[in-house]
Amino acid sequence: MLSLITFLPLIGALVILALPKDNKATIRLTAVGSALASLAVSLLAWARFDGAAGGWDTMQLVERVAWIPAFNVQYIVGVDGLSLPLVLLTTGLSVIALIASFGIENRLKEYFFWFLLLETGMLGVFVSLDMFLFYVFWEITLVPMYFLIGVWGGPKREYAAVKFFLYTLAGSVLMLLGILALYFSSEPRTFDMVELAKQSSAFVGTRFIWVFLALFVGFAVKVPAFPFHTWLPLAHVEAPTAVSVILAGVLLKMGTYGLLRVSYSILPEATRWFAPYLLFIAFVNIVYGAFCAMNQRDMKRMVAYSSVNHMGYCLLGMAAITGTNAAAGLSGAMVQMVTHGIITGSLFLLVGVIYDQAHTRNIDEFGGLGARLPIFAGIMTVQAMASLGLPGLAGFVGEFLCFLGGFGQKDMLLWVGLSVIGIVVTAAFFLKLIKDVFLGTFNSKWEGKLSEMKGRELLTVVPLVVLTIWIGVYPTSLLNKMAPSIEKLIEHVVGK
Amino acid sequence: MMSSVFLLLPELALTAGALALFLGDNGRGDQKKWAFSIAVFSLVVAGILALVSPNSSAFGVLTLDPLARFLKGVLSVSVLSVMGFCSGFSAFRSGEGGKPFSWGTFLGMMLLSTVGLFLLVSASDFLTILISIELVSLTSFVLTGYCREDKRASEAAIKYFLVGGFSTGFMVFGMSLLYGVTGSTQLSSFVGSTGASLPALPLAGALVFVLAGFGFKLAMAPFHLWAPDVYEGAPTPITAFLSVAPKMAAFGMLIRFFQGAEGSIILTVVALLSALTMTVGNLGALRQTNLKRLLAYSSIAQMGYVMMGLVAGGAAGGQSVLIYLAVYVVMNLGAFACVIAVTEDARSETMESFSGTAARSLPLALVTAVFLLSLTGLPPLAGFIGKFSLFSAALQVPGLVWLAVVGALNSVVSLVYYFSIVRHMFFGTPRQQSKPHLPAPVLAVVAAAGAFTLIVGVFPNLLVTVVRSVWP
Repeated sequence: MLSLITFLPLIGALVILALPKDNKATIRLTAVGSALASLAVSLLAWARFDGAAGGWDTMQLVERVAWIPAFNVQYIVGVDGLSLPLVLLTTGLSVIALIASFGIENRLKEYFFWFLLLETGMLGVFVSLDMFLFYVFWEITLVPMYFLIGVWGGPKREYAAVKFFLYTLAGSVLMLLGILALYFSSEPRTFDMVELAKQSSAFVGTRFIWVFLALFVGFAVKVPAFPFHTWLPLAHVEAPTAVSVILAGVLLKMGTYGLLRVSYSILPEATRWFAPYLLFIAFVNIVYGAFCAMNQRDMKRMVAYSSVNHMGYCLLGMAAITGTNAAAGLSGAMVQMVTHGIITGSLFLLVGVIYDQAHTRNIDEFGGLGARLPIFAGIMTVQAMASLGLPGLAGFVGEFLCFLGGFGQKDMLLWVGLSVIGIVVTAAFFLKLIKDVFLGTFNSKWEGKLSEMKGRELLTVVPLVVLTIWIGVYPTSLLNKMAPSIEKLIEHVVGK
Repeated sequence: MMSSVFLLLPELALTAGALALFLGDNGRGDQKKWAFSIAVFSLVVAGILALVSPNSSAFGVLTLDPLARFLKGVLSVSVLSVMGFCSGFSAFRSGEGGKPFSWGTFLGMMLLSTVGLFLLVSASDFLTILISIELVSLTSFVLTGYCREDKRASEAAIKYFLVGGFSTGFMVFGMSLLYGVTGSTQLSSFVGSTGASLPALPLAGALVFVLAGFGFKLAMAPFHLWAPDVYEGAPTPITAFLSVAPKMAAFGMLIRFFQGAEGSIILTVVALLSALTMTVGNLGALRQTNLKRLLAYSSIAQMGYVMMGLVAGGAAGGQSVLIYLAVYVVMNLGAFACVIAVTEDARSETMESFSGTAARSLPLALVTAVFLLSLTGLPPLAGFIGKFSLFSAALQVPGLVWLAVVGALNSVVSLVYYFSIVRHMFFGTPRQQSKPHLPAPVLAVVAAAGAFTLIVGVFPNLLVTVVRSVWP
């Protein structure tokens, strides 16, 4: 079942490769069709998954085949409460992003091929339970993203694409060495993540601190955690709308997920050692990301920096692992991963809507759009409010829980307290965005040039708005599936 | 003695083919079909004979074992591919300066070179090593400068010759010192005895000279400076040949050379050379705009990675060297096939030849990207399996973590220049719209190498089990 979810997009990609490039409608339908099929199967998996029985050592929907016996590599896929929500997030956002890509006319055969290949890579990362397999999928995501930014992106696309690729590859080769070091330390030697986690009591000492750091660099680049974040604003600004959605919505989560799945569960001792440092990094991400966002006049850049800030909340929640409120912190981190994907994804789509018509994203050039484009303004306001953490909307749940967890770190209260500044600044720049774009006087140069959101645009954004409100009002539907897995992970890492 | 002669049947078949080609060459340039039939026939026969040869030792100076068989098999395939490249190559087709191109002598030289390669992978005596290296070198000089009217090729041949002669001097001097120390020219007298029993200083001196000689031949840093010039000047199919076959054979020999040398000080030297070679190769490649120079530096860097496996030693180290070499030969030949197709089409060897290849022929662009990604070492391609086994081998040796880290970071650097080609292919604008023409043999190499790169990448067990049976 999980293999089907993972490889359906790949099948779609291969079919597209075989289609003639002039047959644009068929290519689009094949792309969306395969992504929808994957979404359908993942919904089925969601229904079949027993949240109460989830946990790192009780993976569900497991498939296991020997793959490279010479290196003890197996093909193992399976999910617990940490990975399944992200699988669903990936399949869902992919369908939306693919629909949002219908406007692409240039070389669309290649576009959809790379896009679906990317989806397979991302799904593979979330379902694989073998380190080797995990690494293979991890790397598979790089090449399509490089092309998606580099061919279909903005003016500085080539530089952005290469920078993205180099940063991530530099991180991931160190990760590979970390993975190999784990392999050679295990007895019997294995790449099986669950098996490695069971042996985790043997992974103690300075050597494994180094292994942890090697892995951390790989994940931190993806998150992106300070100081490895500089590729992100560039990549986001240059990437086409749908790709930004996937980049912010899913790709960044590979970093935080990797930390939980690999670093936390396999190297608990090093994790406990690292938690205070992680909290400090989270603080920098939150505050620095927020101030950077505040200073932007380009809407997309602003949303991009707000991602640095929001992923900081996520790291804050994860750093709570050794504190007294670990469960709240980790739940917050997980919820934040999902809701950030939904909210930021929709914000990128909305910025894309206005950019497609105005060909600029400069906040100063707009004003008074609220009266002219009420639906657009309404939706954008809701999502911006969600992003700044207004109670009742999805963003609040994650942020609240992350901070609740963070305040359980009694030794680091100063940094957690200072992180609150980030929330205020986030509120400030989002409110300022709303004021400058939707209120005030209408810039007459757009007279008659801007029109209200059309059917396809609504089709992509509305489901995300509904989810934003749903999770905001009733987060238990999400938390129920995750909580037992989180409990088990905490018990494994801090032994309570 | 007589039975030993039979063990040389593959080499004899190649020599017979070469002699027939030399004697039958009428110098008129109309013998292409005839020359290729003989060359391909004798190469295939030699390859098959080599693969079915028994485990044995010939004249006490050649070892016939699974390792030799494996290497000879891969060598046959790579020489065959190079012959395929040659058959459609425009500079050869039209002849030089109006004069007809003598296919017979040309292919004969290639067969003789193959004899040298075959002998080298079996060599178990310093004299055999020396003679076979010289056979490969001399024929390579001729092949490099075969188009006499081409000034660049002649320059390359002269440079190659001078450096080659110089390095032979080093090597012979080192070997004579080794003879003085061990009292024998047998590799076995040296293998495993790098430790205490021999006088340290003369041994170290001898090894330094031998290593310098090998270093020149293999273009290891800091002895690599000739390689970019020679690779650029030589006809592209010969560049492809030089970048795979001699390296494969020489590393095959080095596996035997370093067998049982674990813990020796010489390995520390090789480790430093390895780090230097990959770094110099990768940094040098960054600034190149000529595709052949770029691939020259790339192959220097790639050999730096392979040396990591030699340093690691033991079964795992030897296996990783073999895995990487097999994969490297295939992906590099594939990359060269694409480069040949594109440069022939554009009549230029600069990187801009690749501009807009994706718009002209998406399959060609994708398969080229596969080779380049594989050379970078990204999964799920064969090159990743190679790097993976090299890194694993290095990490298993406690003191070599630093080398693995250097190797890993070097892969990141290599991404920049491999992807500058990819960037031209996918982001550049094409100069013309027509699809580039691929001659049938080039297409065959591209298809076979592409399939290998993907299949071994996804199912590495196929290759790993073979290598493990070859070098247990």
